[in-house]
Amino acid sequence: MSDPFLKVRGLTAAFTTRGRDVQVLNGLDFDMAAGEAIGIVGESGSGKSVTARALMQLAPEGSSIRLGGSVTFQGQDLLQYSERQMQTLRGSQIAMVFQDPMTSLNPTMTVGAQIDDMLRRHKGLSARPARDRTVELLERVGIHNARRRADDHPHQFSGGMRQRVMIAMAISCDPALLIADEPTTALDVTVQAQILRLLLQLREDLGMALMLITHDFGVIAGMVERVMVMYRGDIVETGPVERIFDAPEHLYTRALLAAVPRLDAPEAKP
Amino acid sequence: MTRLVLIRFALAVPILLGVSVAAFALMRLLPGDFAQAAAGSANVSTEMLEKVRRDLGLDQPIWVQYLAWLGDALRGDFGTSFVTRRPVTSEIGGRLGVTFELTALAALMAMVMGGLTGLASARFRGHTDWIVRLWNGLMLAIPNFVVGTLIVLLAGLYFPQIRIFYFVPFTEDPLGSIGSLLLPAFALSLAVSVTVSENTRAAVLEVASQDFVMVARAKGLRPRTVLRNYLVRNALTPVITVTGLQIAQLLGGSILIETIFAIPGMGQYLFDSITSRDYPVIQAIVLTTAAVVVLVNVLVDIAYIRADARVEG
Amino acid sequence: MSDTDFVTDDDAPLPQRRKAANGDRWMVGLGLAMLALMLILTLLGPLIAPYDPSMTSPNSLAPASAQHWLGTDSIGRDILSRLIIGGRTTLLITVVAVCLALAAGLVLGLTAGYIGGAVDQVIMRVLDVIFAFPVFLLAIAVVAALGPTVPNLILTIAIVYTPILARVVRAPVLSVKSWDHVEAARSVGVSEFRLVTRHILPLAISPILVQVSLTLANTIFTVTALSFLGLGPPPPDPNWGGMLAEARQFMELAPLTVIAPAGAIVFATLTFIVLANGLREMLDVAGKR
Repeated sequence: MSDPFLKVRGLTAAFTTRGRDVQVLNGLDFDMAAGEAIGIVGESGSGKSVTARALMQLAPEGSSIRLGGSVTFQGQDLLQYSERQMQTLRGSQIAMVFQDPMTSLNPTMTVGAQIDDMLRRHKGLSARPARDRTVELLERVGIHNARRRADDHPHQFSGGMRQRVMIAMAISCDPALLIADEPTTALDVTVQAQILRLLLQLREDLGMALMLITHDFGVIAGMVERVMVMYRGDIVETGPVERIFDAPEHLYTRALLAAVPRLDAPEAKP
Repeated sequence: MTRLVLIRFALAVPILLGVSVAAFALMRLLPGDFAQAAAGSANVSTEMLEKVRRDLGLDQPIWVQYLAWLGDALRGDFGTSFVTRRPVTSEIGGRLGVTFELTALAALMAMVMGGLTGLASARFRGHTDWIVRLWNGLMLAIPNFVVGTLIVLLAGLYFPQIRIFYFVPFTEDPLGSIGSLLLPAFALSLAVSVTVSENTRAAVLEVASQDFVMVARAKGLRPRTVLRNYLVRNALTPVITVTGLQIAQLLGGSILIETIFAIPGMGQYLFDSITSRDYPVIQAIVLTTAAVVVLVNVLVDIAYIRADARVEG
Repeated sequence: MSDTDFVTDDDAPLPQRRKAANGDRWMVGLGLAMLALMLILTLLGPLIAPYDPSMTSPNSLAPASAQHWLGTDSIGRDILSRLIIGGRTTLLITVVAVCLALAAGLVLGLTAGYIGGAVDQVIMRVLDVIFAFPVFLLAIAVVAALGPTVPNLILTIAIVYTPILARVVRAPVLSVKSWDHVEAARSVGVSEFRLVTRHILPLAISPILVQVSLTLANTIFTVTALSFLGLGPPPPDPNWGGMLAEARQFMELAPLTVIAPAGAIVFATLTFIVLANGLREMLDVAGKR
C-alpha cells in the first residue's frame, strides 16, 4: 500500500459571504496511519473544527464552503467525490462525535430510532436486526437497560448519557476513522474522564483511527500518540505528544500549555 | 404534566365566564327593548309586553336573569327563537356542524398550502423564497370576502361549467359535501395559509440551524430522510400551534364566506338573526363560537406544553 | 463562543445588517408613498371626483370610457367618484378607530405593565375575554346591537382592537421597567409620569409602531367586511365594501363594478401591510428573519 490511510495535501477552505471569500484553512498537510490517534489542538477560530468538517465536507446549514487541495482517504481523493458518494461515506467510513450532546440529538425521535436509521442506511438492516444491533451498541457504551432505554427520548437522558448515545451512534457502522470534535467540553469534569476512557477503550477494541479535536491539552494527554497544534488556519507545530508537552517549539504552543491547569500545581477552586 | 394541563383548563374557566357575561350583557343592556323584540313587533299592547317580560323573567334583577340564562345554557338550552318560535339549540345544531366542516377544511388547506410554501421558501431560498414571500404579502392584502367574490366572478365569466352555489350536507354524502365546500374553504384559507407559511419558514430555518440536523447529515442519511425525520418533524409543532391559533380568524371569516357562497351555516344564520333582531340566537352563536375558540386555544397550549416537555425535559 | 460555530467566529466584518436596513427603508418609503397617494385622493375627494357620487343616470353598467374611467354601476353612478368619496368614510373610520384603540391600548398596557401585580392581572384577564371572541364576530355583534352609524363603527372597531395593542404595549414595558437606566432615573427622583413617557415608552415604540400599522390593515378589512354585510355606514354615503356587495348581482355583466372596489380595498390593505413589514425589518423587531 503506497498511500497512507489518510493523506491531506494543501487543504484550503473558504466561506463565501456576500461575494467576499474568507479563507479559514491555509493549505494543511498531514498524514494519518490506520488505527492511529492524533490530537488537533487550538483555540476557538483556529480552524480545527473546520478541518474536521472539511474532511466530511459538511457545511453549516445555509452556507457553503469551498475546499481546495486534496484529501486522500484509503486511496480515494474525497474532494473528487460527488455529494452522493460523500453521503454513503459519511457515518460508514468516517464518523463524528460532536461537542454538545444536549443539542446533537433530535428531540422528537427516540434515541434508538436515531441509531436504527443509520444502521438501516449503511448496513441495509431491516427494523428488527437494526434494533438488536442498536441495543448491543448502547450496552457497549455503558447504558443499562439498553433494550428499554432505546425507546426513550433524548430529554430522558443526562448529558453524559447522551454523549454515550452519540458515541454509540458514531461507532455503529464500524467507521475506519472517528472524529471527536470537543467531545467532552460541554460535560461535567467527572463525566469528561468517563467519556474519554470510553473512547480510548473503543479505539483499542475496534482498531479505528481517532482524531481528537480539543482546545484543552489536558484532554489530549494519554489519549493520542501525535499532536498537531493549529493557529489561524495553519498547523504551526506537530509531533509526538510527549515531545510537545516537554519541549514545545512554537510560542503559541507554549501559551496553550501554560493555560492547562496542572494536577501538580495548586488549583483554584471556586 | 397532568397538573399543567389541569391548570390550563382551570385558567380557561374565568375566561369562559367572562365570555358568557359579555355575550349576555351585549344583548340585554344595549338599546332596543328586549321584550319588544321577543314579542315580535313594535306595536303590541302594554299588557302583552308585561306578560312577555314576566314570562322571560325580565322583571327580575339583571344578575338573576344572567344566572338563569347561564344555567339553561350550560344544560344546552338557549331559549326560543323570536322568529321561528323553536328552540334555539335545535336551530343552530345543524348549522354549527356546517360551519365547523367549512372551518376544519379551510384549516387543513391552510396548513397544507402554508406548510408547503413555507418549507419551499426556507429550503430553496433565493428565487423561490422571494416568490413565496411576494405571494404571501399579496394574499395577506386580499381580504377573504374579496377573494370569495372574485372567485365567484371568475368562475361565472370563464368557467360556467363549475357549480358554485350548491351545498351537500355532510350526513348525506361526506365526499360530495367536502367537494361542495372546496371553493369556499379555499377562499377562507388563503389569508391563514400566509400566516402558516411565514411561521413554517421561520420554524424550518430555526430547526435547520440546530446541531442535530448537522449530526443527521454527518450520519450520512439521505437528504430525504433528514428532511422528513429531522427538519419537518421538529418544525411541525409550531406550525400546528399557529394554525390552531387562527381558528378564531377562520370562524369569523366563515360568516362572510357563507354569505357569499350561500352556505347554510352558522355565519349566515347569525347574519339573518341580526337583521331580524333574534337575540337568543345571537347570544347562543356568540357564546358557542367564543367557547370553541377558548377551548381550541387551551388544546393548542396543551399540545405545546407536551412538545415542550419533550424538548426541554 | 465555541469553535464549532465557525461562521460567527471569523472576524471578517459582515456587511449584511446595513444592507438589509437600506433595503427595508425602501419598503417603508413605498408604503408611505402609497399612503400619501391614498390620503391625497381622499382628502381632495370632493374637488377631484369627476361626478357627484350619488348622481344616477340612465347610462348604467357602462364599461370604462373617457367619461367614466371606471364605468358606472347598476343605477348609472360613476364608480371612480364613488371610490374616491367612499374611501373618505372608510379611511376616516379606520384612522379614528385605530387612534382610539391606540390611546386605550397605551393607557391599559402602560398601567398593566408598569404597575404590575393585581392591576396587571385584572386588566389582562378582562382583555383575555375580549380576545376570546373572533374579532369579526364581536364587531358584528356590537354593530348590530348599537346600530350601524359612523360613530358606532368607530367605537366598535376601537373596542375590538384595544386588547392586541394593550398587549403589544405591555410586554416591552414589563421588561424595560427593570432596566438599569430606569432604576437610575428613579433614584434621582424623576416623576412616575416622566419615567414612563420619557424612559420606558421610547424603548417600546418599535413593536407598537409595527402593530399599529398591522391594525390599520386589519381595520380596513373589518370596516369593508362589515359594509359588505350591510353593516357599514348608512346610505347614501358610498363605501367600498357596500359597493362590492351591491355589484355582486351584476358582476358578470360588468366585471369592473366588482374589480374596482376590490382593487381599492386591496390597495388600502396592501399599503399598511407594506408599511408594517418595512417598519418591522427597519426597526429590527423580533419575529422576522
